[in-house]
Parts: sequence; structure tokens; C-alpha cells
Amino acid sequence: MAKHRVFVANRGEIALRIIEACDRLGVETVLGVSAADAQSLPARRAGRTLALGGPRAADSYLNVDAVVHAAVESGCTALHPGYGFLSERAEVARLCAENGLAFVGPKPEHLEALGDKLSARRLAESVGVPVSPGGPTRSADEARELARRIGYPVLVKAAFGGGGRGMKRVDDEAALAAAWELASSEAAASFGDGTVFVERFVEAAKHVEVQVLGDAHGRRIHLFERECSLQYRYQKIVEEAPCPALPERTRGLLHDYALRIADALGYASLGTVEFLVDVGRHDVCFLEVNPRVQVEHPVTEAVTGIDLVREQLLVAFGEPLGVCQEQVRVDGHAIEARLTAQDPAHGMRPAPGRLTRWRPPPVGGVRWDTHMFEGYLFPPYYDALMAKVVAHGPDRASALQRLRVALTGLEVEGPMTTRSLLLELLDTPQIVDDTVTTRWLEDRFARHLRAGSPS
Amino acid sequence: MDIDFEQLAAMVELLKSAEFTEFRYQKGDVCIVVRRGELPAAAAPAPTAAAMPAPAPVVVVESAPRAASTAAAATAAQAATALPEGCETVTAPLLGTFYARPKPGEPAFVKIGDRVDADAVLCIVEVMKLMNSVHAGVSGVIAAVHAQDGQLVEFGQPLFSIVPDAR
Repeated sequence: MAKHRVFVANRGEIALRIIEACDRLGVETVLGVSAADAQSLPARRAGRTLALGGPRAADSYLNVDAVVHAAVESGCTALHPGYGFLSERAEVARLCAENGLAFVGPKPEHLEALGDKLSARRLAESVGVPVSPGGPTRSADEARELARRIGYPVLVKAAFGGGGRGMKRVDDEAALAAAWELASSEAAASFGDGTVFVERFVEAAKHVEVQVLGDAHGRRIHLFERECSLQYRYQKIVEEAPCPALPERTRGLLHDYALRIADALGYASLGTVEFLVDVGRHDVCFLEVNPRVQVEHPVTEAVTGIDLVREQLLVAFGEPLGVCQEQVRVDGHAIEARLTAQDPAHGMRPAPGRLTRWRPPPVGGVRWDTHMFEGYLFPPYYDALMAKVVAHGPDRASALQRLRVALTGLEVEGPMTTRSLLLELLDTPQIVDDTVTTRWLEDRFARHLRAGSPS
Repeated sequence: MDIDFEQLAAMVELLKSAEFTEFRYQKGDVCIVVRRGELPAAAAPAPTAAAMPAPAPVVVVESAPRAASTAAAATAAQAATALPEGCETVTAPLLGTFYARPKPGEPAFVKIGDRVDADAVLCIVEVMKLMNSVHAGVSGVIAAVHAQDGQLVEFGQPLFSIVPDAR
């Protein structure tokens, strides 16, 4: 392997995770930080740290020119974007290529193809992967025809543009025409196109995602699946591998679908193909592809024993995959809980501040991915993630128990954390039996708030 | 760290006749870097080392890469502590490459002892081919220049010290 130096274009636990992977590969690291993160744990661990700009992400972590300039001028050969920030920006991948840096991620054209939801959907359909039933409609009559074929309830929304604008659930035909007209006029006003997308509204779905990995030599494998149904406002809270609720046939089908999409693109990096599994109807539809390392990657690492960040770096350096499909096996079960600095008693309000005590307990089979330390000033500028607590056991029950023991034993003082919520969730029968679906936690919160508990 | 000087001498002897610009040797925690020509500065077009009559190789002995880079980081931080007292500090408004002169070969914008106005341009910080002028912000006399031409400077790094005019 040629000598490499990696620029880490991220912060927090994932920056630390990337630095650690580089250290073990014997690769030097340079970390770009904001002024607020100059004393962070990753800043202390990196080979070299460069201040990119002010605390606001727009001035530092999202400042493309400063990031690429720092990487080039500090003699780096590759840039790892982590997740979030610049990780899915095609122009960053392109700028890296123009400046002789290996972007640790997919090719720019793959980021473009996957970033546009309509083109990603077309790609899936072109290789026979089912997408949520639905399509674009140009008139209320057309919408009525389509909705009859799909079955109610349906979701109507603007076909172009995003942000959930004008999205509306329609339960029966009587309500469709009015909802369609409204969505169409809103779409025309906001995006200059009155086309309305009508799709099936899935009430009880599980979020299941397949980890894929490809190299530049045309080899691609899957690393089984994860379930991440426990979400709050589209933020995942608890993730696990493998997905306990899948019949074997469906599991195999998902792996096959994920590889079909990766093969169709010639995907040569680490990525995740997300699906919704309708537990009521037992069918599957493609959601999107996340072309980067994901927050929940450690559960897959725990059950497969494969260091995903290491593999991601190596394939970006042009190395061939060191593992073939037959060698990937699942050992036991792993569950991750995301501990955040948020106040569950106040609608998950962020709670930054000084961490006056931080003592994670030593528990066998538990991994802590965290950039916390005693005395750390948790900054208010970024996301609220404090730690990912990942428990691995021979089966799901033992993994759950290890996770409970780890969270209970944590000594933490300073910012409010979601520990109490996590512990409560881990004892909830629906979670213990794995019958939760993506909207469960929000419904539960809604009930909680209506019941008039402290808000 | 222990260095076998005989081995080192033999190596340098071998390198004398070899064509190279940089030679890096690492064993355990010892890292030896031998460069021909000037130390690489991100500065304006320097003549390539290969084109020049072979000068004596420059030998730099570094400790392990981790330690070396930590030292480099510490140097940047220490610059802040060594600032002269009673001076206003002009810091880098953004990360980039520091240029003391408008163009290569031209005189520097300012030198120590120069009197400047608040709106005087002191240097350029280049980010991805974008030139950003840095202004004095205060009128006074330049007391120190903390960065070198062509050096990568970080956000907030001290660039100049100015003794402000008495009001």
C-alpha cells in the first residue's frame, strides 16, 4: 500500500473513529476543526489539527474551500468526510479528485444519481427492485385511478422539491380530489410544477437497511442487514443487527435487492440500501441509498467482525476487498443505543453544557463510541450525540441485557441526557419483542404529551 | 531513539550519486528525511531541485511521525503565547495560505517598523485560489510578523502584531 495521509473532515465520535482506523492502518491523520472543537478529544488524538474557521458549521465543517485547501496544503492524499456535513456532496468528491485527493466515498456521479430521490427510484425500478407503489399524477382523475390500484390510505405530495411541503395523508376517495388540488397548487407555487406524487401510506413499517461494500476492481459484497425502526422525528435511536423480525426468504431478498442496485451503479465504496418492510402486508419497498459510513455501522461490525471504516479506507486507496461474500458470517446479535444530550422530559430539547462527570462502566461485550470526557464543554453548535453504546451478545436477549447494564452503570453529570428514556425503552414489551414500527415512538410521545405530563 | 551514524553516513554517501528530491527512511521510531534543494515551502514557484546543480543534501532527523506532527501543532499554538505585550494582534480570518507580498518577486505589503493605517492591506490569505486581503484594523506600527510567506495558516492564528497609535 502506498503511503497515505488522511484528512478527517468531521467531528465528534466519528472523527475519533476514523482516526482510530487510520492509526491501526499506520496512516497519518490531519483533522480539520472549528474554533469550538480545538480542545476536543479527536483534536488531541489526530496527528495534526488545523482550525478551519469559526464555531458555526457553515464557517468550518461545511466550508468546502477551507476543508479542501487544508487537506491539500497539509500534504494529505485522501479525505474522509464521515457522515453528515460534506459526506454526500458530489461537488466535494469532484473537487477532491481535481486536487489529487482520494475521496473516501463513492464517485461524484454515484452521489448525484443517489442524491436525487426520483433518479434513485428509477434506478431501483430498472433492476427490478420494488419501490413504494405510486407515481406522478397530472390530474385529480389520474390520481384517483392510481389510488384505486394502490389502495388507501395514500400520501400525496409535490413530485419535485422536498422538505415534506404539502405532504398529506388521504384515507378515502372522497377526500382525494380536494387534497390533490391543494397539493398541486402548492407544488406549482413553490416549485413551478404542479405534478403531484401519489404513493401508498405505510402505517406499520419496519426500517431495514442492508450494508454493502464494493471495491474499485468490481467486487461487491453485502454485510447483512440492520433494523432501525425505533425513530423519533426521522432520527434513529436504537439500531440492531441482524433484523430479528424478518422471515429468511425476505432477508435473502433484501440482500439480493441491495446488491442489484450496487451492481447497477458499479458502486465502489461503503454504502447502505434502505428499505421499508410493511409488516401488515409482508412486502418490501426501496427507500434510498446512503452513500457513506452510517452512525449505526458498529452493530454490523460487532456481528460480522469486519472493521467497516478500515475497509472503506482501503477500497478508497484502491486496494481490493480483503473479504469475499462466503467469509461474511453473522455471529450473535448486536444492539446500539444513541445517548444524546437532550431532555426527554421537555420534548427532547437539546441540553449542551459542561460535562462534570463521565464514567462509562466496564461491561463485557459493550463498546462505547464516544468523544466525551470529564470536563468536556458540550458545544451548542452541532448535533446532540454523546455516545453510541453498542452491546454484542450470543442472542438478542443477552445483548439487550448488556446494554441495560451498561447504561445503568454510566455515571454522567452535567448536561441532561436521554439515558432515562433509553432505559425505559429497553424495558418496553414492544421493543423486547421487536414489534415496533417507524412511527411507534412518535405516537408514544404524542400520547405522553396529551396526557399532560410535565412538558 | 538510537541512530547508527555509520549507517547514516553510508546512506548519505549512496544518495550523493543518486537522483532524487526526497528520501524517507523509517525504522522503529526513527525517521530520516533527506531532501535535495530548498525545504519545501508552499511558496511561489521555486526552481525545481532537479534542475539545479546538485546541492548538498539537507538531512532532517525527525522522530516518529506522530511526535513530529504534535510538535508542529504545539508550535502553532505557542505562537499565540509569544506575542509582544501592548500590541494589537491581527489574526487569520480564515484558514489558507499566507502571502506577505502581492505577487512573487514583489516587495512585501509591510515590514517590521512600517506605519500602517487601519485600512491598510497587510497580507493575502489564499483559499482554493481565492485571494482574501487582510486589513490592519488599527493604525500603528508593525512590531512583528508571525507567519512566513507561503505558510498554511489556521483560522485565528496570529499573523501580525501592531503597536497602536496613542489616542
